[in-house]
Amino acid sequence: MAQKPADTTQPPSKLRAFLAKSREYAPVWTLLALFLFFSVYSDSFLTWENMGNILNQVALLAIMGTGITFVLLTAQIDLSVSYMATFAGVVAAYYTAAHLPQPWPIVIALLAAAFLGWINGVGTAWLGIPSFMVTLAMSLIASGLSLYLTRGRILFDLPPLANTLGSGRIFGIKWLVIVAGLTLLLGHLVLKYTRFGRYVYMTGANPKAAELAGVNTKGVITIVMIIAAVTAGFAGVVGIGRLGSATPTAFDGMLIDAIGAVVLGGTSLFGGVGGIPQTIVGLLILGVLRNGLDQISVDIYMKTLITGIILLVALVFNILFAGKKEG
Amino acid sequence: METTTPLLNLNNVSKRFGGIHALKGIDFDVRRGEVHALVGENGAGKSTMMKILAGVIPDYEGEMRWQGRPVRLKNPRHALDLGIAMIHQELSVMPELTVAENIFLGRQPLRGGVVDWPRMFREAEAILAELGYEHVNVRDELERYPLGVHQLVEIARAITSGARLIIMDEPTSALSPMETQRLLELTRKLVEDGDKAVVYISHFLEEVTWVADRITVLRDGQKITTLDAKEADKQELVRLMLGKEAEFFEESFIGSRQVSDEHKNAAPVLVVRNLSKPRAFENVSFELRAGEILGLYGLIGSGHFELGEAIYGLVKPSSGSMELAGSPLRGSPRKAIDRGIAYVPPSRRTGLFLEKPIYQNVSLPWLAKISGFVPAVGREVKVADEVIHRVGVRPPDPLKEVVFLSGGNQQKVAIARWLVEPPKVFVVSEPTRGMDVGAKEEVMRILKEMSAAGVGVLLISSEPETILAAAERILVMAKGRIVEEFAEQSVTKEMLLAAAAGEMAAEPA
Repeated sequence: MAQKPADTTQPPSKLRAFLAKSREYAPVWTLLALFLFFSVYSDSFLTWENMGNILNQVALLAIMGTGITFVLLTAQIDLSVSYMATFAGVVAAYYTAAHLPQPWPIVIALLAAAFLGWINGVGTAWLGIPSFMVTLAMSLIASGLSLYLTRGRILFDLPPLANTLGSGRIFGIKWLVIVAGLTLLLGHLVLKYTRFGRYVYMTGANPKAAELAGVNTKGVITIVMIIAAVTAGFAGVVGIGRLGSATPTAFDGMLIDAIGAVVLGGTSLFGGVGGIPQTIVGLLILGVLRNGLDQISVDIYMKTLITGIILLVALVFNILFAGKKEG
Repeated sequence: METTTPLLNLNNVSKRFGGIHALKGIDFDVRRGEVHALVGENGAGKSTMMKILAGVIPDYEGEMRWQGRPVRLKNPRHALDLGIAMIHQELSVMPELTVAENIFLGRQPLRGGVVDWPRMFREAEAILAELGYEHVNVRDELERYPLGVHQLVEIARAITSGARLIIMDEPTSALSPMETQRLLELTRKLVEDGDKAVVYISHFLEEVTWVADRITVLRDGQKITTLDAKEADKQELVRLMLGKEAEFFEESFIGSRQVSDEHKNAAPVLVVRNLSKPRAFENVSFELRAGEILGLYGLIGSGHFELGEAIYGLVKPSSGSMELAGSPLRGSPRKAIDRGIAYVPPSRRTGLFLEKPIYQNVSLPWLAKISGFVPAVGREVKVADEVIHRVGVRPPDPLKEVVFLSGGNQQKVAIARWLVEPPKVFVVSEPTRGMDVGAKEEVMRILKEMSAAGVGVLLISSEPETILAAAERILVMAKGRIVEEFAEQSVTKEMLLAAAAGEMAAEPA
C-alpha cells in the first residue's frame, strides 16, 4: 500500500565508493601479500621452477573454474563439476579401452558431460529447482555413472591426446598450462566480447530486468550450466592424462577448490559482477597459498585448516561488499 | 479496570524521513470496543503511523500511551508482548501447515516437551467457532482454503496470543466480495466484548463506513479530522482526503488534448477481450487506438499492474485473448518486443540494472539489432546517447552507472530504452511515482510526444494526478474488473477515487 514517495536513490557516499573499490582490489592485495610473505619466509618459493609448479598445480582448477565463473555470474552454482570431471575422464578411458577410434572417446566424454549439464540447466531454469539441489543430485548421478562404468577398477588405457595434453610439453612448457591458459582466454573472450556474455552478466545482475528487456534468461542459465559441465569434462579428460589413469573418484575432491578459487577472486555469489581476470587472481591465490605452505615447513596437518580459514574470510568479504542487495 | 482510559493514545507524534515530514503532530486515540478506521491517499502517512503503532518504527517524536501509561515500543516483538498485533497485507502464514499450526505458530501447546496436538486442535476449533468459522477444519492444510481464511487465521493467531489492539492493513484488497463481507462481520465481532479494539486501514470507503465506529482522515502527514462513522458519507470522506486540491482538480479534465482525426479514426492497435487471471483481473476487455493515451486507473491491488504484465507476456492470462495490429498476441517479453510492445514496470528497481552503465540498460533489448555476435560498444553508446538526450536524462553520460542518477532520471532511462525503435504500443506503469514536479512534467511530455507520433500509450497508475495529466480516455479498475470508463467529459480526481473505491457493492456476489 502507501509507498513512501521518497526518492529511492541516495547518492553513494565516499565510504561506499571506497568499499566498492577495495572489494574490487582486495583479492589482488591478498595475492601480493601472500606472494611477498612466502618469498621472504622461504628460499625455495621464489624460483622459476616453483612458479611453473604453481601454474601446473592450478591448471586443472583453471579449466573447471572457467565454467564455474559463468555459472556464478548468473547467480547460480554448480556443485557437480568435480564429479562431472571424474565422469568424463572415465568415459574417455572406457571407450578407449573398448577400442573406439580416437578422438571419439573424448568427443563422447564431452558430449555426455554436456548432456548432464543440460539436465542441470533444465532443472534450474525451467523446473525452478534451486541449482545447488539439482547439481547436488547430478553429482551423485555422475559419480554413480563413473562407478558403474569402471566397476570400481582403475582404467589405464587413455586417449593419446589426453596423455599429451595432460603430461606432455612443448618448447619446454607443459601442455596442461597452455591448455588452461587457452580455456581461460576463450572464456574471457566469450564473456567480454560476445552478446551471449553480455546476457550472462545482465541475467546475473537482475534476472527480472533481463527478462523484461527480452533476454531469454532461462536459455542463458541452461547454456551456462552446459558450459560448466563441458569445461569440467574437459578438465577430466586432460586430468586423466596427467594422472596416467582414470579412477572412479579421480577428481571428486576438487569441488571446493574450484568454486573457492572463483569466489576468492571476487566474482560475486549474487551474480553480475566478476569475470575471468578475477578467477585468475583467485586461482593464483589458492595456488600460491597451497604451494607456499609446503615451502615454509608448516605442519602439513594444518594446511587444510589454513586454506579453509582463508576461504571463509574471502567469503565474508564477498558477502559484505556484494550483499547490498536489500530493498 | 477503568474503562474510560483509551486503549491507546498518540500525542503529538511526528516522524521525518530525511527532509520529508511523513507525520506531523498526530493526536490519535483508540477506545476499547471500537473499530477505528484510518483513511487517506497513498502517501498520506497511514503506513508510517501504523508502523509506529506496531513497533516497526521506534524513533519518532511525541508520545504513545498504552492503557494510559507512556510506552515507547522498541520493536514489533515488544508491541506483541503488550498486546498490539498487526495483520499484514502480505500475510505471514505458512500454507503448507495445518490451520491449527498456523494459529499457534511458534506457540504450540506443549506436553512434556512435544507438541500437544489434541489440545492444539481443540483450542484452534474453539477460537474458530467463536469467530463464526466452524466449517473450517483445523486439521486441514491452510492452502486448501481461500485467502479469506488465511486472513482469519492471522486474526485468530493475534487473538490467541492475547492481542488487545489489532491493526488491519488493507485486509480485503485480495478478497472476493463474499469473503470481504465475512471479514467485515468478523471485525465487528472482535470488538463486541468491549475490551478489544481494531485499527482498520482501507482504501475502500464503503467498507470503512460500514465497519468503523470512528474514522480518522489523514492528509499529507497530518490528521485532518476524526469523525463519527455514522455521520460520514463517502463524498465527504473523499473531499476530506483530497482537501483543497479537490477544487483545483475540478479544472482538470480529459479531452483537453485534441486527438487528430487521423488517430481518432485509427483502427485499434491493441484489442483485449475477456482477459482473466485468477486473483489479478477478471473479464477485462478494452481497445487501445494508435496515437491515443489511455489511462488505466485503480487503487493498489486492483489488478491494473498485472494487466500490464499480461499484455507484455510476463504473466499468462488464464482465459481471454489479445490482438496486436490484427493478429493474436501471446508469449514472452521477447516476442512482445519484436511485435512492437514496450513496457515499463511500476518499480524502477525491477526494470533497471542499477549497477550497470546507462548504455547497457538502453541497448539490452536491441543488442541483436545494434550489433552482431560481438556487441559493438561504440554503436551501443551512440544509440544510448541519442535517446537519453531526447528524453533529457541528466547528466547525459551513457557511460555512467544508473545508480548514480536521481530517481526521475532513472525513470527516463527506463523510458528512453524504448525510443530506440518506436513501439506500436507502450505499456507504462506508474511512470512518475516519487518524482518531483519538474521530472514528472518531462516524463509526461515524452509520453505525449510518443502518442503524437502514433504510439498507443497505455498509462497505468494508482496516482490520479498522473492519469489526469496525460490520459485522453480513462478506464477505472477495482478488484480486477473495469468498473468505469471516462471519455470526452471532464473528470476530477474525486470522480476517479469514487469510482475506484466505491465499487465494492456493485459487484455481483
